[in-house]
Amino acid sequence: MKNRLKLLRVERGWTQEQLGQALSVSRQAVNALETEKHDPSLDLAYRIAAIFERPIEEIFENPHVR
Amino acid sequence: MLAIGKFHSSAHRRYVIRTMAFMIPYVLVNMGAIFGAFDDIRTPVAAWALALVVSAPVVGQIWATLALMAESDEFVRALVARQFIVASGVAMALFSVWGFGESYAHAPHLPGWLIYPLFWAVFGVVSPFIRSTR
Repeated sequence: MKNRLKLLRVERGWTQEQLGQALSVSRQAVNALETEKHDPSLDLAYRIAAIFERPIEEIFENPHVR
Repeated sequence: MLAIGKFHSSAHRRYVIRTMAFMIPYVLVNMGAIFGAFDDIRTPVAAWALALVVSAPVVGQIWATLALMAESDEFVRALVARQFIVASGVAMALFSVWGFGESYAHAPHLPGWLIYPLFWAVFGVVSPFIRSTR
């Protein structure tokens, strides 16, 4: 799923490890999200949205909306 | 067994410890068998007891893998699940082909326990190609 996760993370000067700790997931999970190798669960997407204080759809592109 | 060294989570550390705890006795018992330590076993009960002792670490290792999945984050859980399912399917298919080869084409008999090392061999081959949960 296309997303702006890497951009938002880099904007804050965070490493993948740091973001992973904040989300309680591994660095590999953060990397997989950024490289679109893993679509997050709804729970993880909400956690990401809460950390960046943005709506989910500002972070993850809705593939069902044209 | 799963690749170690790539991941450093506490779940992976527990997995490595559990794997070592199960595989060291597995190797020792099998080495004992190779060097004749159990050649004097005669009764069916003792023979089945030996079979269960040798099999127990295999069951333990499978449990350790499932525990890793349960204790990991959603990405690792989904990734290992995909790898596990594909490796299981390929290993079962290969062993079934060989089994029918024994039945119909006089292929030499292979013991059933080979499915376990075959599964992990296939797991090692397919895992580098399964890096996405999608």
